[in-house]
Amino acid sequence: MTRIRIAKTLWGALAIIIAIAWVFPVYWMVNSSMLPTSTLESFTPTFLPFGGSLDNFAAALADGDFYSALGMSVAVTLITVFFCLLFAFFAAVAISRFRFRGRKSFIIAVLLVQMLPAEGLFIAQYKMMASVGLLNSVIGVSIIYIAAVVPFTIWMLRGFVAGIPADLEEAAMVDGLSRTQAFLRITFPLLAPGLVASGVYAFLQAWNEFTVALVLLPAESAQTLPLWLRGFVQASATRATDWGQVMAASTLVAVPVIIFFLIVQGRLTSGLVSGAVKG
Amino acid sequence: MTRKKTLGLMAVATASALILAGCSTTEPAEAGGTDITLWLMGGDTPDELRDYLATEYADATGGTLTIEEQSWGDAIAKLTTALPDAENTPDVVEIGNTWSPTFTNAGAFSDLSDMYEELGGDKLLDSFVEVGTVDGAHYALPYYFGSRYVFYRKDIWAAAGKEVPETLEEFNATVADLASDTQSGFYIGGEDWRNAISWVFANDGELAVKEGDEWVSTLSDPNTIEGLEQFQALFQNASNAPVTEADSTPWVNINNNESTGAPESATIIAPGWAHWSIGDLAPDPEDDTKTVATWNDDVFGVFPLPGKDGGAAPVFAGGSNIAISAASQNQDAARELLKIIFSEEYQQMLGENGLGPGNTDYVSALGDDQFAQALIDSAVASKLTPAAPGWAAVEGSGLLEEFFGKVAAGGDIEALAAEYDEQITPLLAG
Amino acid sequence: MKRIPQALLLPALLILLVGLGYPVGWQLVTSLQEYGLAQQFGRPAPFVGFANYLELASDPTLWAVVIRSIVFCVVTATLTLVVGMALALLMMAVGRIPRLILQIALLLAWAMPVVAAMTVWIWLFDRRRGVINYLLDLIPGVDMNRFNWLEQPSTFFIVASIIVIWMSVPFVAFSAYAGLTQVSEEVLEAAQLDGASGWQRLKNVILPMIRPVIMIVFLLQLIWDLRVFTQITMLQDAGSKSGAFDLLGTYIYKLGTRAQDFGMASAVSILVLAITIALSWFYVRSLMKEEEA
Repeated sequence: MTRIRIAKTLWGALAIIIAIAWVFPVYWMVNSSMLPTSTLESFTPTFLPFGGSLDNFAAALADGDFYSALGMSVAVTLITVFFCLLFAFFAAVAISRFRFRGRKSFIIAVLLVQMLPAEGLFIAQYKMMASVGLLNSVIGVSIIYIAAVVPFTIWMLRGFVAGIPADLEEAAMVDGLSRTQAFLRITFPLLAPGLVASGVYAFLQAWNEFTVALVLLPAESAQTLPLWLRGFVQASATRATDWGQVMAASTLVAVPVIIFFLIVQGRLTSGLVSGAVKG
Repeated sequence: MTRKKTLGLMAVATASALILAGCSTTEPAEAGGTDITLWLMGGDTPDELRDYLATEYADATGGTLTIEEQSWGDAIAKLTTALPDAENTPDVVEIGNTWSPTFTNAGAFSDLSDMYEELGGDKLLDSFVEVGTVDGAHYALPYYFGSRYVFYRKDIWAAAGKEVPETLEEFNATVADLASDTQSGFYIGGEDWRNAISWVFANDGELAVKEGDEWVSTLSDPNTIEGLEQFQALFQNASNAPVTEADSTPWVNINNNESTGAPESATIIAPGWAHWSIGDLAPDPEDDTKTVATWNDDVFGVFPLPGKDGGAAPVFAGGSNIAISAASQNQDAARELLKIIFSEEYQQMLGENGLGPGNTDYVSALGDDQFAQALIDSAVASKLTPAAPGWAAVEGSGLLEEFFGKVAAGGDIEALAAEYDEQITPLLAG
Repeated sequence: MKRIPQALLLPALLILLVGLGYPVGWQLVTSLQEYGLAQQFGRPAPFVGFANYLELASDPTLWAVVIRSIVFCVVTATLTLVVGMALALLMMAVGRIPRLILQIALLLAWAMPVVAAMTVWIWLFDRRRGVINYLLDLIPGVDMNRFNWLEQPSTFFIVASIIVIWMSVPFVAFSAYAGLTQVSEEVLEAAQLDGASGWQRLKNVILPMIRPVIMIVFLLQLIWDLRVFTQITMLQDAGSKSGAFDLLGTYIYKLGTRAQDFGMASAVSILVLAITIALSWFYVRSLMKEEEA
């Protein structure tokens, strides 16, 4: 018994060491964001932000562009997550609850679509969005994002839908509920963890995306957060990169995601658990 | 485009001053209240100048000028997609001077020949005008220039008993002597082709020339090879910079390092405006998170890179051109903005801010201190990259970084030159 | 009633058609054209048949990039899978508190926006001020002062691989952990009673049971790592833009955006798609077989 306990403690210690190593870059970002750039330029790293300040944050926020970029990012991300989940859910129900012609081709298509290299597509995407007046608009980018994320979300959700026994619904229908009602009251709550897990994926993709946003949102007023952040990273000819500010800006971009993650954390793990059954 | 060109020629031919004067009095009324957009590259144009443009434009036309800053790194992608698109194109754009031939040849810009004289004509910086000219018609005009010159540490040079060199050969030998394992004599990255070509140009070499109708890459030209050999020796003997380093922020290497109290290098080459960032470092009294550099004449000095036989070497002329998007629906209003940009007052302001004004009449606005002197001396001799239609493609392909990096690393120059000539020539046609 | 499944698929199909269909169609057409900057500004684009493809097929640079990308992708995806699996097993082996700490650490890493994460990593590997060189230099006998990680393609790709693995492991670890928690205690206990060692249990009981999860996760990693783009571009910004540091994503981007040869860039994209399908065909087929079952 004691030997097992010792082993468990050792494994626990290892887990914590790995956790520290893994989180180090995140810590380093936050640490650096509170240090003055002159300290950061030094050859000897400063491991703790003693004597640090929030000046870098104030400077990063000073021009006010952060808030418009935040608004843009939130809008794009919410739209992407919502429609992506909705469409993927419908599709997942279709392929896991029904047998029909074209089902198999659809599944293969969903898998193959993810293999498209996106780097060569942006001119066509620009032309398409420009021709319908959706440049610099939340809707334009969102359409591209939903299309990019929906295949994987379908793939993820179908595992969940398949995992919920159809008998449950049928039993409810016997009890006098319509098919839709049965779905909403019985199946939908059971799906919640799956929706959270896929939602997290869609959220991360939309929040992080850079290249499509660069091309489809050329106006400064329509910047998303990654574009805003990039502005800090690039040194101009007259001004060297201010690393303290870059780190503060990075932290500002990361914080909403981290908050979102911590909120859904519990559900995420259970979501992945049930999703994994079917793979 | 042809129609516009004939109109332009007619305008020039027929006592243009009168007609244009007539135009400019009526145009503001026509363009009254037109809102236009100007794209500026990077943060090179100071805020003061941006505000001036916006105010003057509003006064002149009653419209609003929106200035959007594009980062250099992403600019080509955005210019490529936005410029052909009438709905979303910026009306006026700043573009890197070396990209001018490519976009001009592709038909991205409006013909400005009819107002060329009014905007400065012969007084505009020749080499910049040339890269924006196709078949004698002017499309992109010089916005500002900034040549590179040498910054050196007087203290280190003096301690080693070195004096400001008269010729390029002396320069090469001096900085090689100054180099040690911990300090570069001259800091230059292996892939830093924009600086390295100064050695090519100084030896009368070229990167590409037009033979008949065809542009040909000329890295294998004996003069080019000679320059490359000098660069290779210079990198090997005088520089501790990585092979992979390109044009970045060179001034950090000549200031004292906080940890070691010594600079990374005794000598650097940098664009003129770098002098704001070079000097003795001290905490900024207004903001203690920053340090400010205060120029110290006892420690730092400048001189133009010397040429092969004395004088100034033909260094790479940095800077930008400015043009009107051919797809813009506000051509008249955009022209109003160009008039403001090429006005005496704005050109003076460029000079006062250390940017070489596109109109050479106002170069004196740069001042007469040592920086202005070094800038002007090196600019006079400076040289641009080839005006080939495909030049932006060559730059974008990364082949030059690759080639100069391999040369710096000690590769066989003739074999490399032949190999890269073959790769670059097809790109030059555009 | 009969058309229900089709109706349910419709929104997803439509958005795919709009968001990807048109661009991919454009790409297919453009790959058969001579399409450069002049065409972008309205000059007609002549059809050149398969000339772009033929030129690519005979271009040694492209094949070098393809091979480099495949090696990078397979190595990185495999390491990601191994590390992710190991961490999942570790989560199973430890108590609640260490598990939670590890999970939160992984979540934080996963939640880092790519641009932010890359910025920090480049900073960590910085030649002069990077913490990695500083820490390695502290080890006696190791001289890593000013070691330039981004100078040689070999170390450049090691750095790239480390960063990609760091970013992707959380997803793999969570998925695998989720799979592992489904392996019932009874089965494991039974195996233990049979006298199976830890390794035997892992190999003969646990791995087969979570095989479906591993399969799909590995496939996704392969697909994603083959197209890795933002990470490489940002590393190139910090290091070298020279061709030896290109993977397929940056190669296509350079051809298209920077060298403005959109016809050729499109042809490469189509080629990459074909290569990906060819490489993963075995996988897709076996996944489809399980689908049938």
